[in-house]
Amino acid sequence: MNMLAKIAWRNVWRNKGRSLVVIGSIVVGIWALIFMVGFMNGFTVSYINGAIQHEISHIQIHHPDFKKDYKIQFTISNGLSLAKGISQEPEIKAVSPRSIATGMVSSPRKAQGVHIYGILPEMEKNVTHHDSLLSEGTYFGSNLKNPIVIGMELAEELKVEVNNKVVLTFQDEENNLVAGAFRVAGLLETTSPSINKGTAYIKMEDLNRLAGIGQGIHEIALFLSDPEQEPIVMDKLKSNHPNLLIESWRTLAPELELFLSMTDSFLWVLFGIIMVALIFGIINSMLMAVLERYRELGMLMAIGMNKWRVYVMIVIETIFLSLVGGPFGVALGWLTMNWLGRDGIDLSAYSEGLREFGYSSILYPSIEVPTYLYVAIGVILTALIGALYPAFKAIQLDPAKALHMV
Amino acid sequence: MTDKKIVIQTENVAKTYHESKIPVTALKDVDLIVDEGEFTAIVGPSGSGKTTLLNIIGGLDRPTKGTIIIGGTDISRLKESELIDFRLHNIGFVFQQYNLIPVLTARENVEFIMLLQKRSTHEMRERAMQLLKEVGLEEKANVRPSELSGGQQQRVAVIRALASKPKFILADEPTANLDSAAAGNLLDMMARMNREEGMTFIFSTHDQRVIDKARRVVTLEDGKIKHDEVRT
Repeated sequence: MNMLAKIAWRNVWRNKGRSLVVIGSIVVGIWALIFMVGFMNGFTVSYINGAIQHEISHIQIHHPDFKKDYKIQFTISNGLSLAKGISQEPEIKAVSPRSIATGMVSSPRKAQGVHIYGILPEMEKNVTHHDSLLSEGTYFGSNLKNPIVIGMELAEELKVEVNNKVVLTFQDEENNLVAGAFRVAGLLETTSPSINKGTAYIKMEDLNRLAGIGQGIHEIALFLSDPEQEPIVMDKLKSNHPNLLIESWRTLAPELELFLSMTDSFLWVLFGIIMVALIFGIINSMLMAVLERYRELGMLMAIGMNKWRVYVMIVIETIFLSLVGGPFGVALGWLTMNWLGRDGIDLSAYSEGLREFGYSSILYPSIEVPTYLYVAIGVILTALIGALYPAFKAIQLDPAKALHMV
Repeated sequence: MTDKKIVIQTENVAKTYHESKIPVTALKDVDLIVDEGEFTAIVGPSGSGKTTLLNIIGGLDRPTKGTIIIGGTDISRLKESELIDFRLHNIGFVFQQYNLIPVLTARENVEFIMLLQKRSTHEMRERAMQLLKEVGLEEKANVRPSELSGGQQQRVAVIRALASKPKFILADEPTANLDSAAAGNLLDMMARMNREEGMTFIFSTHDQRVIDKARRVVTLEDGKIKHDEVRT
């Protein structure tokens, strides 16, 4: 086997030009594959992380009947102390208790339906980081009485700016219509169209006073230190609080998981297409090498090299081609991912369209370590498959005829 | 006639090719016995069947009819894989060209068949260097065939064939691509090995120098043995 490997390795470099073309195609193919995977992953991560970070969080807790009709009466029992207790758990990075109402927001020009969140700003910003997403104004930091933060698109719709007044109208605990005037403190620009167009944030004390629910809260949003811990945290919360509705982001936004699995499938298809293209390139090159060496192969079989050894020699030569190109492609891909993953790709030219779909305008390609392993395995499999036909052609030759070929 | 061992015996060997619409008979009822230690040239005009006979004796082709017995084994009955193995252990080949593996050095080429025969590294190395020394190519041991002259390449091919200690060596036009001096050196080397080691050589040739050196000349014509001349 050592001699076969020696011959195979030296044969790779017999025709340097041709070998370098094949190696080059492997390098470029792998590099492109890694980049595409990283790019798509970046989109996926941006979309999902954006939704989790700025909108739904990792886990939400509600009264079991609250989400049926969003009735203001269905508060979480001892919600604030429950939120405080949960925030002490080591897996929990941040907690935000919220009171929620559904109503109308109106300006002198227009009125629109809106979800109203009553928040504790210092806790809320640790979960949603909305304080870093303001396009104008402040995040409840000013001395304004009854401040409100709304999405930029909602502001445009209502034709209001910072410091303008709007009126919120909704039903209180006793199903009476109540209203309150609020002054716009800040305008949000997130990756979530539903926040930008249909959500308003006010202080919890203001919402609860109008709603007449005292210290009641309707939702506790949890942001985890390690997202991988989500199943463990879910199990713990469900067993400790069987009377509450506890949901993870996968249930709150199933379209995110669907998007994740669709992207996964797409990437595997892309992987397959690139590998198939490489296989054909390898077949072409190795077939030429075999046909060029017909007389030499005939000589080898004549002097007693059996067909299995000839077959293995061709296969090893093909694997060597891939083993030279593969690592270079992976290394280039890794370097590219490191660079772009740190600096990002600036897509601000398309920011409006991207925001509409929930993407940020700076894309950070990312790739998981196992992907490099899959690529490496794919490269070797490609070589093995690409070698089959040329090696088969080699062992089909008749030594007597091959030796006398002109 | 002789007490020597019979190395090759063909009985009623015939070969007909059916590759075109008209069948072509290359050999017709060839009976040939080759003893150990012979230095025999098989000659004849183009189309006489020399190459076909050599291919059949070398186990590279099968006869349509008849038997080939090499060292007591009827190789016409062997399966293909058995034939390859038989060639490896019993028959040495020297071709007109493309004898050597271009990516191996002279020493590695000589060792190659011994490697296929699974000899030990020490045995292979020792035998290869000894043979290279015998033919005056010790200093070229680590050089690739492209850096050897035609004559040197053929000498390496001969000692590679010898290294495996076959029953006989088949040489198909070994001097065809060599100049006079190189051809002469090669022939002298093979004649010396025939004399000193008792190695049996069978040549297929048009080269008069080879024919002159041979101690037996078998002339083929139209697929049959026309003359069989043993020279004293």
